[in-house]
Amino acid sequence: MSTIHQTGSVKDYFCDLISGITTTAKGMWITFKYVWAVKPVSIEYPEVREVLPERARMRLFNDVQNCISCTQCAMACPVDCIYIASEKRPEGEEIKKTSNGQPIRLKLTQFTIDTALCCYCGLCTTVCPTECLTHSHDYEFSQYTIDSMKYDYLAPDVIAWRDRIVKA
Amino acid sequence: MQSKWDIGEPEKPTINTETEQLKSDLLTLNMGPQHPATHGVLRLEIWTDSEIVAHAIPHLGYLHRCMEKHAENLDYRGIIPFVDRLDYLAAMNMEWTYVAAVEKMLGTEVPRRAELLRILVAELQRIASHLMAFGTYALDLGAFTPFLYAFDEREKILRLFEEVSGARLLYNYVWVGGVWNDWTDEQLVRVAQFCDVMEEEAKKYNELVSKNKIFVERTANVGVFTVEDCLSYGATGPVLRGSGMKWDLRKNKPYSLYSEFDFDVPVGEGEEGRPGDCWNRYMVRMKEVIQSIKIVRQVLEKLEPGPIMGKVPKIIKLPKGEVYVRHECPRGELGIHLVSEGEKQPFRLKVKSPCFTHVSMLPHVAPGQMIADLVATVGSIDIVLGEVDR
Repeated sequence: MSTIHQTGSVKDYFCDLISGITTTAKGMWITFKYVWAVKPVSIEYPEVREVLPERARMRLFNDVQNCISCTQCAMACPVDCIYIASEKRPEGEEIKKTSNGQPIRLKLTQFTIDTALCCYCGLCTTVCPTECLTHSHDYEFSQYTIDSMKYDYLAPDVIAWRDRIVKA
Repeated sequence: MQSKWDIGEPEKPTINTETEQLKSDLLTLNMGPQHPATHGVLRLEIWTDSEIVAHAIPHLGYLHRCMEKHAENLDYRGIIPFVDRLDYLAAMNMEWTYVAAVEKMLGTEVPRRAELLRILVAELQRIASHLMAFGTYALDLGAFTPFLYAFDEREKILRLFEEVSGARLLYNYVWVGGVWNDWTDEQLVRVAQFCDVMEEEAKKYNELVSKNKIFVERTANVGVFTVEDCLSYGATGPVLRGSGMKWDLRKNKPYSLYSEFDFDVPVGEGEEGRPGDCWNRYMVRMKEVIQSIKIVRQVLEKLEPGPIMGKVPKIIKLPKGEVYVRHECPRGELGIHLVSEGEKQPFRLKVKSPCFTHVSMLPHVAPGQMIADLVATVGSIDIVLGEVDR
């Protein structure tokens, strides 16, 4: 067993002992300096929160009033977690416009995102032509069942998030 | 009177050969899949003779996510988030390698600023990855404090990446044709500040851990890979350089703009122990951090305003053919073999992972070691199981 350390002479033994004590003391001194010289870096999470950067990618939010059901986000999604359904508007119904002036020709009937499946890559938000699909800064949305992670963005309670979570 | 339960004399155990007797003394131990020292879900089947390891057999596949097959059904942009998840501690380098393969087939010209930003994020990621390796290695050997110091510095890099890309670990930042977002001047100033701090910190880490007698005793002359071993197994990166061979793709086969940069390739010189042991592999990483800081400073000097995205078609269709691109990642050479049949999806994507090679070297070095030394060896090759199993 060549890797097992063979003890040498008595002199080596004491040299090892001394260098062990001195190098450990050096390390202890470095850590000891942290008592007064360095401010604490951790924060007490639920009370104190870090401000997220502007581009932080958290829960997806779709502003359905601006969605033109182009399905580009669903096609770009690598995990296929966006479900979109739309239908033709009945004759004579007024065609609304999005905030950046694009006509909404199709009527959106379903816009669901499975947040449990989402990988937060941000590819869907980059292809959105009306910029209605965005990553919000909301990151506390744990649920008891996996089904409740599916958000239907046409549901009134989810639309009500808009005031709360859409980036300014 | 003979009882009906009496079955006569028991058979005497016979010992046929000497080896048979030796084998019966071996105890089979499972280290992992859930074990803090295996850095993920690696299972090591260890045959031990008291505390000495006779064989160590790595069992893989606990983190297999079928990424290579999955990529065949995705468009070229959609693969980037999956490539991130190969080596989740060095996602920028993974992305860059894959994107470089696509660009090589597409023939895209990447703007200079984008290339420089890629080098910047790759080197920062290398520092972050080596800090993680340093922290967890000290943790493996029983020192808890270095882990916290390393995470403190790593946090600064992750914060920068979060600001620029939006995510802390799986960035999706390097895109085909360039990078997603530009860095602001304020962020670049913070990078420069980080470089100054990191240089001081690296010295502190060396005082605290590298020269510590207990650490040296645990790692020097343990788990020795000779250069011949490394070459025959195909080891790359810090494992090969720790054995004393000067091989770095950034120097030997310069890709991107690395030929413009001035930096050294640190090798294991055997200040403690001998080249190829755990201490030298560890020390190569600490020296590489210094070299990466050097590269980052040069990038900051060279950066000039300009476009960050080249001309890329909206739907990427690669011409028929195949390409193999390899880059120097923190853990070794990552190779991407991409075969295209002219479709929107790749025909085949094969990843040559450095960690897989390094894990395969364990059975070679393990026999004759103590179990505690095996932990030191596994820690020193710094494996990430996401990359081993893919």
